[in-house]
Amino acid sequence: MTALLGQAALWVAAFGLISAVCAAIHLRQVQPVVALLADFLLAAGLIRLAGEPSWDSLALAASTGAVRLLLGAALRHRASGIGARRGGGGGGGSG
Amino acid sequence: MSGMDWDLLPESALHRAVDLTVRLVEFGGAAVIFIGAVWAFVQFLLLGVRRRRPRNARPIAGFNRIRLSLGRFLALGLEFQLAGDVLRTAIAPSFDQIGQLAAIAAIRTGLNFFLGREIEAERREVERLSAHDRGGATAPAP
Repeated sequence: MTALLGQAALWVAAFGLISAVCAAIHLRQVQPVVALLADFLLAAGLIRLAGEPSWDSLALAASTGAVRLLLGAALRHRASGIGARRGGGGGGGSG
Repeated sequence: MSGMDWDLLPESALHRAVDLTVRLVEFGGAAVIFIGAVWAFVQFLLLGVRRRRPRNARPIAGFNRIRLSLGRFLALGLEFQLAGDVLRTAIAPSFDQIGQLAAIAAIRTGLNFFLGREIEAERREVERLSAHDRGGATAPAP
């Protein structure tokens, strides 16, 4: 089952990369795309964590989650700053 | 009853049953996350293929809606995995395993908490944008 979960995690990471490229082409913005990629990578880490729990996979999932949280908070902070500077018009700015 | 060589509920049977249940529940959580990822992937592909969109629609609105659904799938899968953790505490025999269990449960609980807050923030953003668009299309917003 661990091998199956590892394969699933790989697929999810690949899906995330392709989705991020699609979203980048569609949106032409950097911040939301990075947040989306972090979401998919977190999903991959969570799937891998469901298999055989080891300290390695634990550390991996924890660091992915922490990076993702930091990125999300920083990008949202920056986006809201840009939105406020523009008079509250847009939700995000182009990177 | 000195020669009692059978138990009503042998510990090994309990171990096997809990182990099987934990595997099923954790696999269910992983399946939920995987399905959510596949669904979001298909939606993003459609979003990338569909070039034409209504004049007033913002591209970020559709994107946010899909990301919100992905976040909900992630939160649901995390709940399943937390359930598996709680079940596993029934049969944790060594301190090493208990430590791992505590770390996993802490990570998943923290992630679930922050994910919930993020989902709430994004939901409000989606509602604000759609209300803004509706107000801009028909009448000035109050």
